[in-house]
Amino acid sequence: MARRTANVGRLIAGLLVLLLAYLAGVQVVWGPHLAGSPQNPRLAIAAEETRWGRILDRRLTVLADSTVQGGRQVRRYADGPLYAHLLGYRSARYGLASLELRYDPELLGMPAAAPWEASLGLFGRTARGDDLVLTIDAAVQQAAAAALGGHRGAVVALDPRTGAVLALASRPAFDPAAVDARWPVLSRDPAAPLLDRATAGQYPPGSSFKPVVLAASLGAGRATQRTTLDCAASVSVDGLVITNFEHEAYGMMSVPRAFATSCNVAFVHLGLATVAGPIIRTARTLGLGQAPRFDLPAAPGYLPDPRSLGRRGLAELSFGQGSLLVTPLQMAVVAATIANGGVAMRPFVLRQVRAPDGRVLAAYAERGGRDALPAGIAAQVAADMVEAVRDGTGAAAQLPDVAVAGKTGTADNPHGAPDAWFIAFAPADHPTVALAVLLENAGVGGQVAAPAARQVLAAALRAQAARGGRP
Amino acid sequence: MNALWRAGVAGRRTRERGLLAGAAALGVIGLSAVHTTLYPADPWRPVVIGGVALLGFLVVHGALCVSRSAADELMLPVAAGLSAIGLVMIYRLRPEYLIRQAAWVALGLAALVLILGAVRDLRGVRRYAYVCAAAGLALLAATVVFGVERNGARQWLLLGGVAVEPGELVKLLLVVFFAAVLTEQRAALTLPGRRRRRAELGRLGPMLLCCLGALLLLVFQRDLGLAMLYYGVFIAMLYVATGRMDYVAAGLVAFAAGAALCYHWFGHVRVRVDVWADPWAHASGAGYQILQGLYALATGGVLGTGLGAGHPMLMPASYTDMVFPAIGEELGAAGTFSVVALYLILVGRMFRAAVRAGGAFEALVAVGVATALGLQAFIILGGSTRLIPLTGIPAPFLTYGGSAAVANFAALAVLLGVSARASGRQRQMEALRGAADR
Repeated sequence: MARRTANVGRLIAGLLVLLLAYLAGVQVVWGPHLAGSPQNPRLAIAAEETRWGRILDRRLTVLADSTVQGGRQVRRYADGPLYAHLLGYRSARYGLASLELRYDPELLGMPAAAPWEASLGLFGRTARGDDLVLTIDAAVQQAAAAALGGHRGAVVALDPRTGAVLALASRPAFDPAAVDARWPVLSRDPAAPLLDRATAGQYPPGSSFKPVVLAASLGAGRATQRTTLDCAASVSVDGLVITNFEHEAYGMMSVPRAFATSCNVAFVHLGLATVAGPIIRTARTLGLGQAPRFDLPAAPGYLPDPRSLGRRGLAELSFGQGSLLVTPLQMAVVAATIANGGVAMRPFVLRQVRAPDGRVLAAYAERGGRDALPAGIAAQVAADMVEAVRDGTGAAAQLPDVAVAGKTGTADNPHGAPDAWFIAFAPADHPTVALAVLLENAGVGGQVAAPAARQVLAAALRAQAARGGRP
Repeated sequence: MNALWRAGVAGRRTRERGLLAGAAALGVIGLSAVHTTLYPADPWRPVVIGGVALLGFLVVHGALCVSRSAADELMLPVAAGLSAIGLVMIYRLRPEYLIRQAAWVALGLAALVLILGAVRDLRGVRRYAYVCAAAGLALLAATVVFGVERNGARQWLLLGGVAVEPGELVKLLLVVFFAAVLTEQRAALTLPGRRRRRAELGRLGPMLLCCLGALLLLVFQRDLGLAMLYYGVFIAMLYVATGRMDYVAAGLVAFAAGAALCYHWFGHVRVRVDVWADPWAHASGAGYQILQGLYALATGGVLGTGLGAGHPMLMPASYTDMVFPAIGEELGAAGTFSVVALYLILVGRMFRAAVRAGGAFEALVAVGVATALGLQAFIILGGSTRLIPLTGIPAPFLTYGGSAAVANFAALAVLLGVSARASGRQRQMEALRGAADR
C-alpha cells in the first residue's frame, strides 16, 4: 500500500509540475507576444493612464508631444503635416500608424520585449512613456519638404556611413492631428495623401537605374571606363525602337560620357553586352526587388526574372524602364551604398529610446555593413556620377564649394508626364549625405529633381557642419 | 516521551517556528506593499488584523510545542505561506473582505487546534463512517433543495445569514467514509480468483452508491469542479487500497463516459469546454474571463507588475476563481511558481505522512486528504490558466472563503496528527533498535 500511495503522490506531483511547465510557457516564453496582443485591454488602459512619450529629432527638437485637453490626452505634432508619414498618427477611431504604431509599447513605457525588462515595473508604474529620439534632422526634413514644393513625390536622405535617415518626406501630406475629422476626405482623395511615397510608392526608376547597370557591366568585366559605346539617335532591338532623350545623337563616346549625358542607346548596347543575369544580381545585392528591413513597413518594388526577360526586356531594363519598380527609400540606399565604397548600411530612423528623465534606455547605431559592390567598382561608378553633375544631365545639382555625385532619371510612365528622379551624394570624396528625390509626373529629372536635390544636399551639409561633422 | 522530544523532535518545532515567522513576515510585507500602493491614506488597521491572523499560526505552533508533538514541521508553515498570499491578494482585490478572510483563517486555526486535541487516535473515527456518509449526502441534498445560487452554481447553504459551502466539508466526510469501507473490504477485494468476484459488488456497493449519489447531487448543483475532485479522490483511494488496475481503468472509462454525457446534456458544460478549446472564438462572451486570465498571466511575465500596479480587476471573479492569474499578473512567474511550489511541498509532505501512517485506515484517510488537496489545487490553478477547462473551486488555503478555510485546516489537522503518530512510531522503533544494539 505504501508503494501505491507513493504512486498517487507522484501522479499529483506530476500534474503540478505539468502546471509549472505550462506556466513557464504562458508567462515567460509566450508572454511578451500575448501581452502585446491588441486584444489585451491593458494596452488601451496604459495608453489612457500613461502620458505618451515624445518623439524628438536628433537634435532633440520636439516633433510630437501630448497635452491634456478636457481630461483627454491629445497628441500634438509640432510641424503639422511635415512629418505626417514618418510619425503617423494616434486616432481613437482609426488606430495608430507608422512610428506611433511601431514603437507604441516604448511610447507607453512598457517595453516588455525581454522578460527581465518587465521587472522594471516591480518598482512602480511609469506614469510617462519613453521618448523616441530619431536620426531625423529637422533642418534637413524642412529642406526636403520645401524641395518637393507643390509636387507629389518623396525625398529620402540618409548618412551613407551609418544608414541613419536624415529626412523622409512624402507629398501630398496631411495633418496627423486631424485624421479623425478629415478621414473621409483623406481616404478618398485621388492624390492618396495617406500613402507614404518614400517607403511604399513604387515607380520605374528610369535612368537613375543606370548606375546599377554600369556597376554590373564593370563588375562582370563587360566594359571598362575606356570602352566606347555607340550613342546613335536610336537603336532597334527585336523590333523595339529605343531613342535618346529628344532624339539626340552623339556618335561614339566613352562610358563616363555616355553615363553623364544619360545616353539610352549607349546603355542599351552596354546592357545587351552585360546580359540580364549580372544586372539583376547587382540590383538585388543593392537592395532592389525586396522589402528593406526598416522601422516602417516598406514596399519591395519589383525586379523581373532575368530568364524570362528576353532581349527587348533586357534593352528596357538597361535604362530603367520595363517592368522594373523601385521605391525612393531603395534608391536612396543605392546612392548611399555607392557613396560608402560599396558597403550597404541598413537604413534606420530610431536612434535612442530615452526615459522621461533623459536616461538613454536603448541606443541604436549602424548594424555593420554588407558588402554589396566591390570597392573599386563603387569608386568608378561614383566618379562617373561626379562627372554627370560636373558636366552632364545633373548639372543643376552643383554646389559652389562641394563636389556632388548624382544621376538623373526621367521615367516614362503610363499615367501622364514622366516621373523625375535624382539620386545623389556629397561631398563626392568623403560622402556624408546620400539621397533620392522623386517627383511624380514632374518632367525631366535634370530640370526639376536635380535642383530639388541640391537644396536638400546643401541643407544636410550645413546641418552636419553645424554639428561638427559627426555622423 | 521526554526522550523522544529531546531526540530531535524539538529541532523540528524550532525549524517550524522559523518558517512560520518567515510566512508571517511575507504576509505582513505583502499587505504593507498593497496598503502603501493602493490605500496610502487609509488607516493601517487591516494590515494589523491580517498580521494578527497570521500570528495565529504561531499559537498553533505553541500548542504543538506544549503537547511535544512530533508532527511534520513543513505542513503548517506551507499552509501559513499560502494563507499569507491569500490574505495579501484579497486585500489587493477586495479590501473590504480582508477582515472577514482573516477571521476565517483564525476560525480554521481554531478548528485545527480543536481537532488535534480531540482526535488522539484517528481509528476512533472509523466507527462513525456511516454517520459521515449520511451527513455528507444530507448536506449535499440540503444544498440542492434549500441552496442559493451564486455565480451560476447552487452550492451555498444559508445558515443564520452566513453562506456555507457544504461541498468543502463533505469532501472530508466522504474521505473518512471511503477509507472505512475500503479498510473493511480490502482483504476481500484483494483475494485472488473467482470467489472474490462474486462478492465484489456487494462489498463495494455502499461506497459506489454513496459516490454516485454525491456526484449526482453535485451535478444538480452545477458544481462540476467538486464532482471531478470527489471522483478523483475516490479512484485514488480505491487504487491505493486494492491495487486493482482494472478498477482504475473502469473508473477512467466511467469518467470519460460521464464527461461525454455531461457535455451532451448540459449547456453550461459544453460552454466551458468550447471556451477552453478556443477562447478567442468567444472573446467578448463566455471566453472573456479565461482570455483575461491569459492576458493577466502574460502581462505579469517573470516578475510581475508589482502588487497594486497591474489590472487584475479586468478578470471577472478576480478574487475567487481567478486569484491565481491575478497573482501571475502582479507577482509574475515568480509568484505563480512559488504558489505551485508550496502546493508541491504540502502535497509531498502529506503523502510522506500517508506512506508512513500506521494502519490501513489512517493511511487511506491521509491518501484521500492529500489527493483531495493536491487535485483541488491542480483543478483550479490549471482551470484558471486554461491548462484544463475552468471549473470554479477554491484553491486550498489561498482563495477567499470560510467553509473552505475551515475544511482545509481540518484536513491539515488530520494530516498533522497522522504525521505525528507515524513519526512517533518510527522514533520509538529507532530507539528500540538503538537499545538492542547497545
